[in-house]
Amino acid sequence: MIPEIGHFALLISLVFAISLAIFPLIGAQKNIAELVGLAKPLVYANFVLLSVSLFCLAWAFYHNDFSVTYVAMNSNSALPWYYRISAVWGAHEGSLLLWVWILALWTAAVALLSRSLDDADVARVLAVMGFIAIGFLAFVIFTSNPFERTFPMFPVDGRDLNPLLQDIGLIIHPPMLYMGYVGFSVAFAFAVAALLGGKLDATWARWSRPWTLAAWGFLTIGITLGSWWAYYELGWGGWWFWDPVENASFMPWIAGTALIHSLAVTEKRGAFKSWTVLLAITAFSLSLLGTFLVRSGILVSVHAFASDPTRGLFILVYLLIVIGGALTLYASRASQVVSTHRYKLFSREVLLFINNVLLAAALLVVLLGTLLPLVHKEIGLGSISIGAPFFDKVSSYWFIPFSIMLAIAPFVRWKQDKFSRIRNKLLPGVFFAAVLTLMMYLTLGVDSFMNLLGISLAGWIIALTLYELFLTRSKGKLPLSHWGMTFAHLGFAALVLGIAVTQFASVERSVRMVPGETVELNNYHFTLAQVKQVEGPNYSSYMGEFSVTNGDEKHLLFAEKRYYKVQSSVMTEAGIDAGLWRDLYVSLGEQLEGQAWAVRVYVKPFVRWIWLGGVLMMIGSILCIADKRYRKVLSMRCAHEAEPHNQRGEATGQTASSN
Amino acid sequence: MMKNFKVLVPIITFLFISIFLYKGLYSDPTDIENANLQRPFPEFKLNDLMNPDKSYNKADLLGEVTLINVWGTWCVTCRVELPFMTRLSEQGIRIIGVYYDNAAEAVFSGVDLIQTQQDVKQMLSQLGNPFRFNIYDVNRDLSLDLGVTGAPESFLLDANGVIVAHRRGAIDERVWEKEFAPLIRQLKQGG
Repeated sequence: MIPEIGHFALLISLVFAISLAIFPLIGAQKNIAELVGLAKPLVYANFVLLSVSLFCLAWAFYHNDFSVTYVAMNSNSALPWYYRISAVWGAHEGSLLLWVWILALWTAAVALLSRSLDDADVARVLAVMGFIAIGFLAFVIFTSNPFERTFPMFPVDGRDLNPLLQDIGLIIHPPMLYMGYVGFSVAFAFAVAALLGGKLDATWARWSRPWTLAAWGFLTIGITLGSWWAYYELGWGGWWFWDPVENASFMPWIAGTALIHSLAVTEKRGAFKSWTVLLAITAFSLSLLGTFLVRSGILVSVHAFASDPTRGLFILVYLLIVIGGALTLYASRASQVVSTHRYKLFSREVLLFINNVLLAAALLVVLLGTLLPLVHKEIGLGSISIGAPFFDKVSSYWFIPFSIMLAIAPFVRWKQDKFSRIRNKLLPGVFFAAVLTLMMYLTLGVDSFMNLLGISLAGWIIALTLYELFLTRSKGKLPLSHWGMTFAHLGFAALVLGIAVTQFASVERSVRMVPGETVELNNYHFTLAQVKQVEGPNYSSYMGEFSVTNGDEKHLLFAEKRYYKVQSSVMTEAGIDAGLWRDLYVSLGEQLEGQAWAVRVYVKPFVRWIWLGGVLMMIGSILCIADKRYRKVLSMRCAHEAEPHNQRGEATGQTASSN
Repeated sequence: MMKNFKVLVPIITFLFISIFLYKGLYSDPTDIENANLQRPFPEFKLNDLMNPDKSYNKADLLGEVTLINVWGTWCVTCRVELPFMTRLSEQGIRIIGVYYDNAAEAVFSGVDLIQTQQDVKQMLSQLGNPFRFNIYDVNRDLSLDLGVTGAPESFLLDANGVIVAHRRGAIDERVWEKEFAPLIRQLKQGG
């Protein structure tokens, strides 16, 4: 009964989404207040319906209702309750339901928080989001229904959740990632609504900024969690694999980063208008492309467990309608946009423009690297694979100009500036970069050119970002958004530093150990104390107890090899002692003859800084959103622009009808 | 003119990518599933699970329509499947087991062949024994050749040893009536 309620709610939600996509839009274009007024109630109703639907699925999981196919395939009565709940998004059907629920959540948030905006404008935005929802709801209902029953023959017990996903990191990683992916739909909807309404000015940029920042923050933390999870769960100490699915989440992130910066220019200076619109469309298009790549199984990846050409075809048609439609609209409207704003060669605009060009280049490289194997195969050149070596090489050249610019830009004035004015302010950057590089060379013995360059650029960014903060702070109280920028830039520096150091200075050894034996790695003595058998709720496990000593330092690590009975698969759980300066990492391999075990031990300096970078960036985005000026600007705008706004509204009405 | 062209670049790029995405959809690795069918059963030479002195090869599977069931005592779903399989064998379907030893299981409980034989005996006496005999796929080579991803899996062979149906997961009454029974009627009429 409960699953049927969920299914039913899903069906009604589709009807509501269709209404949302049609009526408010007609109302906004033809100035019919009744139709415009329908938008918000429909949005709230949709959110409630999808919440009911998601809750019903979670209920079925919680109560082990194996008559529901999806539950039977992805859960088991021995699975702990928290993994039964997170199993809701453990596979294809449920993760799509989560996707549409999150879309409904964002849509409801827009409806709730845009009360100070013009009703017709908000109605357009909500209608675009409703249109996006139609495709995904239809996809869930017609090709991937999570509520399908197994009647009349239902299994006694479920097949269990993929053990890889039975982990705290995987409980929160997908929702965060989806919050980011789907969050870009808000900027997309604002951009499309602006194109539809013919109001491609700085105001739409101001409205979309906090939403874009929020989506970007979620995506950042989602990717960071994914990387952290891969590090401790896959058992070989890597943190980024340039796997197609990772790239699929990385591409919207790059586009989002470019969008945040370009929105700032459009809002403050009225420049880059049409480019910003294109980026807003691109960021969400890449999110959709990512969903397509993952859900169609078109690119082989460790992550892709649901693949079916009909499903892929469905999403592809949907992509053609949504992305193709938006880009066609862009092509027809954007050429009329003229940016009248003028700026000199050395100005913050130009530096931000270079930032965007570099980000766009990075985006193209990742896109090309991800899709080239597919193109290669389709034009009959056989299968190739493009992996980490290609991406590593390209990105190591890319980050040099990017990091140099990133630290300078905050010092440079809008419109025009002189390099001689800021030249002396850059000295602390040069000094600290040299000190940090020398320090790493002496303490960790880093002597590869590229890694030293990475370290010195990280030092350059850290010093200049803090110095800029200090200079601006001494002039008066800083807005929160300035702190936000500082945090995000420091986060990028931490990321670069973490990568540069850990890539060079990490050491590992694969050894055969019997209990009592000790191996030495970078002055750390790893002793295998014992291996004991442990019973978990749905697995049995061999747990290796390691003691690690270095002088007075002493740590106890537990590395596990778990055997999950239902899915009959073996998982490793690495034993990690985490630290800001280094991680100690042990993973248990195969059991060898006698008492011996294959063991891998690692010492990884500065690896935490990679995720610390992600966390700092996310904090940066939160600080920016919390800035008072968004709320102030919005309410001021309401009073102050009411009149000219109406005039523009009428003018638009004419354009629309003459079209 | 130049400016008009510039704004068309994104949509053209996107359409170009879409063509490849479309083509890619129909050449993806999910085709492997169908490639498994209408293919001769792989050659093998393996011992009997209960009597290691006796060995089998492909010739032992020929001559009549045969259901090959890949299973193991460690596999929960196989337990559920066994009674139905037993009913099938009572109806005259020849069922031959391929015993899939789980290496991971072997590591964990340190099972040896004698222990495995005892487990098998006990389980079959409890739940029914549908098997004419069990082939012991000790190194999982046969399972690898068959493209087995887990247990249970079942393959239906015609009298010439060609795989005509393949099922990943348990066979129950519904699956049998839908996917296997019509094929068997067809094979018996044809033969």
